[in-house]
Amino acid sequence: MIRQVIRGIFWVILLIIVLKGCLRADLPSVDNQVKNPINNSKEISYEIPINKTINGIDYLQSQSDIGNFGGEFVMSTIGEGPKTFNPFNSKDNTSSQMAGIMYDGLLATNPLNGQPMPKLAKFIQSMPDKTTYIVKLRNGLKWSDGKPITADDVVFTWNDIIFAGMGDTSTRDSLVIEGKLPIVEKIDNHTIKFVTPKPYAPFLMMLSTPIAPKHYFLPAVKKGNEFFDSFLSTNTKPENIVTSGAFKLKEYVPAQRVVFEKNPNYYEINKKGEKLPYLDKIIYMIVGDINNQVLKFEGKEIDYISLQGSKVARYKSLEPHSDFKLYNLGPDSGTMYMSVNLNNRKKDGKFYVDPIKQKWFQDLNFRKAIDSAIDRKNMVLNIANGIGEPLYTPESLNSIFLNKNLKPYNKDIKKSKEYLKSSGFYLKDGKLYDKNGNRVEFNLYTNAGNTEREAIGVMVKQDLEDLGMKVNFKPIEFNSLVNKLVSTFDWDMVIMGLTGSPLEPNGGKNVWLSDGRLHMFNMRTPKEGKIGILPWEKELDEMFTKGALETKFENRKKYYDKYQEIVYNQKPMIYIYSPTIIVAIRDKFKNIFPTSLGGLTHNIEEIYIQKDTETKNTKVQKEWK
Amino acid sequence: MEIIKYIIKRIIQTIPLLILVSLISFFIIRLSPVDPLAELKLNPSVSPETVEKERSRLGLDKPIIVQYGKWAFSFIKGDLGVTSTGERVSQKLKERIPNTLLLTSLVIFLTWIVGIPLGILSAVKWKTSFDRILTILTSIGMAIPSFFFAVLLLLFAVKTGWFPIGGLTSPNYQELSFWGKFFDMLHHLVLPVTVLFTISLAGLQRQMRGNMLDVLDSDYIKFARAKGLGENVVIFKHALRNALNPMITLLGFEFAGLLSGAALTEYVFQYPGLGRLILEAVMKSDINLVMASLMMGAVMLILGNLIADILLIITDPRIRGAQ
Repeated sequence: MIRQVIRGIFWVILLIIVLKGCLRADLPSVDNQVKNPINNSKEISYEIPINKTINGIDYLQSQSDIGNFGGEFVMSTIGEGPKTFNPFNSKDNTSSQMAGIMYDGLLATNPLNGQPMPKLAKFIQSMPDKTTYIVKLRNGLKWSDGKPITADDVVFTWNDIIFAGMGDTSTRDSLVIEGKLPIVEKIDNHTIKFVTPKPYAPFLMMLSTPIAPKHYFLPAVKKGNEFFDSFLSTNTKPENIVTSGAFKLKEYVPAQRVVFEKNPNYYEINKKGEKLPYLDKIIYMIVGDINNQVLKFEGKEIDYISLQGSKVARYKSLEPHSDFKLYNLGPDSGTMYMSVNLNNRKKDGKFYVDPIKQKWFQDLNFRKAIDSAIDRKNMVLNIANGIGEPLYTPESLNSIFLNKNLKPYNKDIKKSKEYLKSSGFYLKDGKLYDKNGNRVEFNLYTNAGNTEREAIGVMVKQDLEDLGMKVNFKPIEFNSLVNKLVSTFDWDMVIMGLTGSPLEPNGGKNVWLSDGRLHMFNMRTPKEGKIGILPWEKELDEMFTKGALETKFENRKKYYDKYQEIVYNQKPMIYIYSPTIIVAIRDKFKNIFPTSLGGLTHNIEEIYIQKDTETKNTKVQKEWK
Repeated sequence: MEIIKYIIKRIIQTIPLLILVSLISFFIIRLSPVDPLAELKLNPSVSPETVEKERSRLGLDKPIIVQYGKWAFSFIKGDLGVTSTGERVSQKLKERIPNTLLLTSLVIFLTWIVGIPLGILSAVKWKTSFDRILTILTSIGMAIPSFFFAVLLLLFAVKTGWFPIGGLTSPNYQELSFWGKFFDMLHHLVLPVTVLFTISLAGLQRQMRGNMLDVLDSDYIKFARAKGLGENVVIFKHALRNALNPMITLLGFEFAGLLSGAALTEYVFQYPGLGRLILEAVMKSDINLVMASLMMGAVMLILGNLIADILLIITDPRIRGAQ
């Protein structure tokens, strides 16, 4: 009996010790909770590659440090991997990312300032008539199979693939200017002329579209649209794919990885005149979800990861004694916003939005009251773990078009109450009523499953309830929500996000033009056209139309500044915050010049692995080699 | 001859069943609020014309009944259609089926080879400490949810670095020698197999033990023992053969689970099997892919039952007589 008791006690003690050990290991110590810890504020010393002609071949010469050749860089992509390797048919992010590695465009975006920077093109000349662009190709360019890259390839790509509507037509659609497409002509073997029907600013950056090898794509194009959609599918033999980028496809293993290897014919050299890229291989592991990605990074299977806000504090505390380094890539280029439904139209005699609610939503004071009642800073602190910044404008914080005159402001519940009061709203027993005696109550939607937006919803609901409003917060399934927003219009208020480009506000025209397809806050059916347009919507239309036709940055900026100001004042969309992107990469990789516009891998061909026996990670790694 | 007639009869019986299954699944998927075009619609740079083009390409602009008819017609012809991204469904399935089969058949093989003897042993050694310890262990095995166990093992792999974190092959797989490849795969398979093995072993061992105990308690075993037969003969010749019958039915179900039984574990371990593919397909309402997998599941279940029944006919003279 006694022996049994002793044995029992022994087991309990053992269990306690084991459990305690586990707990301690996983609890982050409080001292390490740093707010917004990573600041790479020091000037980036990156210099973009320059043109250099050696023996009649126009190379691009890297200006970064000379590195070692060899090694591999393992990254990861979340989801089910690429759907196609055809750069003209990629409809999802992963596929376009993979295509972007394999195919270069005529130009690329300068990662420092967002201006065009030559790639396949040696230079691009904009003519004074603002519609003609002369593109001079590099001499001696080669595809990965050794055939030369010439003006024929460029003309073929634009005329026979893009303008012919092969594959994904979004590039073509965005270039239709007053019903006409630009004209592309070959002048000589290395010179191409582009003429747009009217001056059109976004056109220049469109030249970053990949160029296809004519000898390889022509048979597929001849077989028509349907065949083209399945051309270069993921079942294509990797060695058959002809590319122009720094890397070419080596292997694709479904649901496991995509492996790229060095393209020996790439046109970039280092300062010593050796051909880049330095790395032998880039590997993308295909991981199903973000948790697995984190595990793989911690298990040293991948070299690079983008961190969620909640993980940053822990990684920051691990950084000094580990083999990775954190970088701050600046604000995310997507925007998160809250919007009210301004729709006041009917369908089959029935209003989309309840007429009582319509009165509130269309009241600018009501929208302003909501805007100053929400506590953005608190959201950044609690939801994004301090890794983010409050947002007040429709352009993201890293946009080169950001209107910096629009000042941020804090939560001010007193001001909110004043706004409401001046529109006749009144409080009774802590409940808010409008001037006709209707209780202010509405639904707030977001897509279920997005924990960030759900958390924002809860905080917005609390903030608005301080004003006496009754908010029914309803996270619903993504597809149903989209359906409400773009088809049935039966919603009151919504929290959503939109992707955007920090370089080109014109991409948002679908959202801001009054007949745009994503003009969610006051959506009109195609039949309705521009019916019931509000004065400030008209102004927005004007800004977007004019902004696109102007080609000089300074002039465009004026229009886009004005558009941001209108949105800032009229509050059809109330912007919340943008998370800051923090990434971690093994410190054996050198020539890392992260920028907000280019990310971390914009100079993938220059990145090399330091061959240093003293780097901490030599002793690690997998056993089965 | 009898048996062939029986098989044909059974196969004919499955046809209306399959039609019903396909009808129900098709309509449920299509009536669900999932819109395969939602993401496209919310992308600011996609034009309405492109969305319309996609709609007609996926056949979403036609009434449901027409969509079903089109699907069913090509299904009968053996064409599974294309996924929403334009890849062939059959090709996608072909990529994944071998991986899933490798995992599940390995697990089934291991569980049966270990589970059955353990079940017999603990029945024979009923109420000894061996039986009790095994009972505790199998109870634990049955109680742990597979995904939780899988996550625990993954964390174990991260902390120790002894095992790869999910997947099936290493990035340098292609450059390995034959044995290198073999061990690389084996190394990746250890953890997922452990999870599935522990969980299904528990059930199987309990089942076998229960059957065996029932049989050992019956009159003819008592009679055999009374007759003075050796214990080995009693157990292996008389008891085991009778106790195995219910297990054969179970084997039929195991067969049905060959392609779909490991989905959860596959997902946690990022195993490149059918589980992940189909989960994504369901989320995106990729109708052809989902339908193909559902039909595959139904066919496997029917086939599994059929095989079990045929095996029973072969092993059990009583059923053979009733035919």
